Amino acid sequence: MNDFLVKIGRGVGGVVGALYQAGREAIDQVIVNILPFMAFIALVIGIILKTGVGDWIANLLAPLAGSLGGLLLLSVIIALPVLSPLLGPGAVIAQIIGTLLGSTLIANGDIPARFALPALFAINPQVGCDFIPVGLALGEAEPETVEVGVPAVLFSRLITGPIAVVIAFLFMPLLPYD
Amino acid sequence: MDALVLAAEWFIGLFKTGGDVFLSLVGGIVPLLIVLLTGVNALVALIGPDKIDKVGEWAARDGIIYYPVRYILLPFLAVFFLTNPMAYTMGRFLPEKYKPAFYDSAVSYVHPPLGIFPHINPGELFVWLGIAAGIEALGLSVVPLAVWYLIVGLIVIFIRGIVTERITAIMWARREA
Repeated sequence: MNDFLVKIGRGVGGVVGALYQAGREAIDQVIVNILPFMAFIALVIGIILKTGVGDWIANLLAPLAGSLGGLLLLSVIIALPVLSPLLGPGAVIAQIIGTLLGSTLIANGDIPARFALPALFAINPQVGCDFIPVGLALGEAEPETVEVGVPAVLFSRLITGPIAVVIAFLFMPLLPYD
Repeated sequence: MDALVLAAEWFIGLFKTGGDVFLSLVGGIVPLLIVLLTGVNALVALIGPDKIDKVGEWAARDGIIYYPVRYILLPFLAVFFLTNPMAYTMGRFLPEKYKPAFYDSAVSYVHPPLGIFPHINPGELFVWLGIAAGIEALGLSVVPLAVWYLIVGLIVIFIRGIVTERITAIMWARREA
């Protein structure tokens, strides 16, 4: 009987401990990663909305974001092997372009809501291009693999970046947005 | 004097709009995010991330039927349980020739699930949230978009893995020659 109680106590203690630790991690993540970026985004959006720069950028982006051809062009530009490693860090560029698209063109109804799906892929063909050597090192890759792997991934993106947009475009009609 | 006051008002207004945006973000998303992150963190801790090592060994095998394991299942489990950037350590189970393709596949999946599993990459949430905010502003539900982003993402990383594996093989052969 005693053994049983000890076992239950331990089990419950373990689960509660894990939950508590999970809560602590969640709060940490919010304070360290999420809130600072929200502050940054809020500042950018605030200035864009107030100064009218938003309309200007929206006019510039509208022809790119509102058609398959435009999104493909956007994805190819971002995936260029010279640009993609520069645009990668922290996904800052993707986050800003995404926020601009969302808070201006999509929110105003300038482009159909369905275009959100291909747009999510069009703004992001450079994902991780700045991080290839480190990512491969985390996978315990040999130096030779890194030498081959970096250009292989960069060139692959030129092909798979636009492919991703096309696939998302094909799935777009399944979204229930009219 | 009036001009000065006007200028000052405009200057403060610049940040007041930003403040309103910040408040709506914190009030609208952060509470859900905290509870969701807690739940998923607990789940991952209770299951134990080391359980997916077996999938890593499985994914290392040659043969066409292991492609979906290597470029769909393993990247998904890796980013879900280990998150960005530790997910890429799963590459250690694979032969050298597959490592670049696995990295490409895994790193391309740190954003598509963000609408449902934000714990994967909380620092880069706005890749998803920026565009989703526009859908929300229209009064539409973002859930269908989140689900299809996740599903299409799986198809994309599968293709990306295969293409990068081929390109790696070609470049490797050229190097040896």
